[in-house]
Amino acid sequence: MNWTSFLAFTRGPLFYAALLIFIAGMVYRLARVVALGWERDRVKSRGSKLAGALRSYLKGILIWPFIPWVKNTFSRNPLIYVAGGLFHLGLFVVIFLGAAHMLVWKSLLGFGWPTLPLPIVDWLAVVCIAAMIVLFINRLVHPVLKLISGPAEWLNLLFVFLPMISGYILTHHLFFRYEMAYSLHMLAVDWLLIWIPLSRISHFMFYFFARAIHGAQFGKRAVAP
Amino acid sequence: MTTQAALRTFVKETGGWVAAQLEACTRCGMCAEACHFYQATGNPEYAPVWKIELLRRAYEQRFTVGGKLRLAIGLDKPITDADLARWSTVVYEACTLCNKCAIVCPMGIQIGPLIHEVRSAMSEAGVVPAELMAAVNKQMAEGSPLGMTDDVWDQRLEWVADEWEEEIPRDVQGADTLVVFSSIEVMKFPGNVAAIAKIMNAAGEKWTVSSQAREVVNFGFYEGNEHRTVEILKRVFDGAKALGVKRIVVTECGHAYDALRWTAANLMDVPLGIEVTHIAGVLGDFVRSGRIKLKAGAFDNDGAITFHDACKIQRRGGHIEEPREILKILAPNAFREMSPNREQAICCGGGGGVIAIKSADPQRYAVFQMKLDQIRKVGASTVTMTCSNCRLQFTDSVAHFGLDLKVTGLAQMVADALEV
Amino acid sequence: MTEETIYQRLKAAGISRRDFLKACGGLAAVMGLQGAPPVAASGLPAHLARGGNPAPLIARALATKPRVPVIWLEFQDCAGCSEALTRSHNPTLVDLVLKEITVEYHETLLAAAGFQVEEAKQAAMKKYAGQYVLVVEGSIPDDGIYCTVGGRSALEILKEAAAGAAAIIATGNCSSFGGLPKANPNPTGARGVWEIIKDKPVVNIAGCPAIPEAFTGTVAHFLVFGALPELDELHRPKAFYGNTVHDRCLRRPFYEAGKFALTFDDEGARKGWCLYKLGCKGPTTYNACAGIKWDGGLSFPIQSGHPCLGCSQPGFWDGGGFYQGQSAPIGRPGIGVAAAAAGIGLVAGAGIAVANQAQKRAGGNT
Repeated sequence: MNWTSFLAFTRGPLFYAALLIFIAGMVYRLARVVALGWERDRVKSRGSKLAGALRSYLKGILIWPFIPWVKNTFSRNPLIYVAGGLFHLGLFVVIFLGAAHMLVWKSLLGFGWPTLPLPIVDWLAVVCIAAMIVLFINRLVHPVLKLISGPAEWLNLLFVFLPMISGYILTHHLFFRYEMAYSLHMLAVDWLLIWIPLSRISHFMFYFFARAIHGAQFGKRAVAP
Repeated sequence: MTTQAALRTFVKETGGWVAAQLEACTRCGMCAEACHFYQATGNPEYAPVWKIELLRRAYEQRFTVGGKLRLAIGLDKPITDADLARWSTVVYEACTLCNKCAIVCPMGIQIGPLIHEVRSAMSEAGVVPAELMAAVNKQMAEGSPLGMTDDVWDQRLEWVADEWEEEIPRDVQGADTLVVFSSIEVMKFPGNVAAIAKIMNAAGEKWTVSSQAREVVNFGFYEGNEHRTVEILKRVFDGAKALGVKRIVVTECGHAYDALRWTAANLMDVPLGIEVTHIAGVLGDFVRSGRIKLKAGAFDNDGAITFHDACKIQRRGGHIEEPREILKILAPNAFREMSPNREQAICCGGGGGVIAIKSADPQRYAVFQMKLDQIRKVGASTVTMTCSNCRLQFTDSVAHFGLDLKVTGLAQMVADALEV
Repeated sequence: MTEETIYQRLKAAGISRRDFLKACGGLAAVMGLQGAPPVAASGLPAHLARGGNPAPLIARALATKPRVPVIWLEFQDCAGCSEALTRSHNPTLVDLVLKEITVEYHETLLAAAGFQVEEAKQAAMKKYAGQYVLVVEGSIPDDGIYCTVGGRSALEILKEAAAGAAAIIATGNCSSFGGLPKANPNPTGARGVWEIIKDKPVVNIAGCPAIPEAFTGTVAHFLVFGALPELDELHRPKAFYGNTVHDRCLRRPFYEAGKFALTFDDEGARKGWCLYKLGCKGPTTYNACAGIKWDGGLSFPIQSGHPCLGCSQPGFWDGGGFYQGQSAPIGRPGIGVAAAAAGIGLVAGAGIAVANQAQKRAGGNT
């Protein structure tokens, strides 16, 4: 076994298996919640629940990443708001707007899209990594986070950090031979794919439920948060 | 077997709605930044996400393979009697169910309603603060937690009608509107009763009060007990049905509005054709439609006035703009907005039953300091609101701290500024 | 074979000393020699070994050493590597080395055929046992019917020839890593030489075809130093396979700037932009194409507008497709398999939820 053949393994059969586990796992998590039963809301609405839900989605995707919408509350902890936001921004840009990853999506979906130049993606990756370090430290020192964090929370951070840092090393041809760095990156990514359905990183799927519920609850009362 | 009872309740309550939101939580801890109790005291156990920890444990340990495994190998803790006792204190004495945490949560999780579910389990397990339970029992037995029995209510209303020279129609069959007062108003702020009566009469509303549905406060709702909540709601709906009214107006009380308007239909069969609304909304309607006329600038000459948004009427009730429209007429120059306001407002700290529990006083007064800071920042000498429980918290705290602040209610201001 | 040295032979062929020295300099440059360790180890006089211009070193070697016998075997191949080697345009290093080392047996190049040639081969192997260089082109299938010469299987022929070889040079991707015959589903069981012969030094001059200079440079190294050059983990000479195509590519600045050609004749393509999005495997392909290029430095695929295929890497035919991005996974679940996985998740999740609902109905008692 050399790095070249290991690379072929992590890009090939291991990725194949990891992706299937990811799909099965995420559908499992979804079905487990959806099939648990939903009661009809018999309370008469004052405003539109649908409009509330849509507004909640739009704000969450278009505005929240860029403008804090709860100004006062986030002004109490601006560092964490910014760190969390930049972390997600960096993550999304790297995963969706980086040329290398766009080609992965293209191979999976059948179509691609325009991407950002490498230096921009690169910078955001650095910002993302820095943000993760900030969030890590915060989780170590903030009294509430110390209370509510279990082993899973630390592992989540680690398992998202590894693909980011290995991807950065890979892109810049640092320290290791390219096949070795690429293999390690694929290993980290394949593991993350398996870990996501087992952890709270799956929150990106439940995001749509929770925000729809949130928007509907406020829309029902004709309140627009 | 308190733990068993609590667990049973957790399990019964947890459907797709609860599960989806519990799964969505990422343990980011942002909710703590919104909670006035955490902000005022710095106690991490007051973080909203921690308040629903037992619900999470029950869900994961009963409904998920991973959770069951983790419990079995010791990576997660089971729910014990000690846990129930500890969390009971937190969810009853350090939470007003204001739901600001839901607005701040990046995932939009409705943490307030989830905390309410925790209270339900506590109630089933019989782990409820004694003072609160006493008030609940009193309401079940006498119809009101504040000792407002049939007779007392009768006498008080007589006295108010007499003292303020306002007609208060009683048990009028076929009236359009049933007005249900809270015992806080009847017993502690009787001027409010008179004020609302005056407004109703000035607007030419065909209204009535009901001796059957004489108490709008719902301590079963504070307790989180579905059975008792419904019992108390029934008293109001039955009174409304008996009189054949078209709508119920909840007077200046917050949680009662939440219970009657936004929760009742999901707990019981509510009578068809009877609308439920809040006096804040009614005042707004009356002013917009011209049914009552207000003296412009009536409150412009007595220092700055600010408005306190009541959690269950503004953030959770939607009557955000009506008070402001009214205040812009009543005090166009003196009115100042606190910050934050509207749906982001800070809770007064006394709702959700907290003010009924003496051991909650320290954090309640600590939260009041936050409100005081807000009020001082805009230099207001008067604060007005649409909820009498908030008013109780404000007046009590003002007395406690020996302050100079004037506390009033919106209905009172409107009544005082009526142009007849 | 005569005992005349390479230099003597060249002289006899009319090549002047000056031209000879120039060719040696070129050879040295191609091999990336800069003096130091191989020089010191060569055992040549100090004033030549001390670094500086290595051309005299080469010259000295070729002037003093006799020609090397070569047995060139072809198995499952297209003869492309031989073709590339022999189709050089001018009498260059390739010419020099190919013609001036004896090729005792070459299936394609020999005019003769048949069992007489086979006998000649056997004689040569016996005569130069332990000294000859075995060059292999083409992949070796399972022992059996897929590739036979004179009734004998390729595997048998290879093992026999390897036994008496001083070193083995596998030229081309087929003999290095299995090449095209090995592509999924590999019906003949094709393999590279180094997977079969473990007791002799094997160098892989991978490529499809191998770059002629890579082959001749390696042979020249063997001539000069009597040993194979430094190899990477895939047994390819680092002098030619030490950098990726990506790292030496002329279009690299466009990659960094995010300017990609999206189709073969779009504006980007015509402006010479990076071909990464058209499936270029440059980043993971170690070869000398971007440096030495082809046809005497004329051009290479990327320069001519076609993405790198990764032809010097193992399994490049099964690397996901020539026009699929280099970063994309090799093979992915089809929609059917993915749906099956989703189905399993759905059934399992719904199953658990149904059990949970039963728990709820039982009043929460387990």
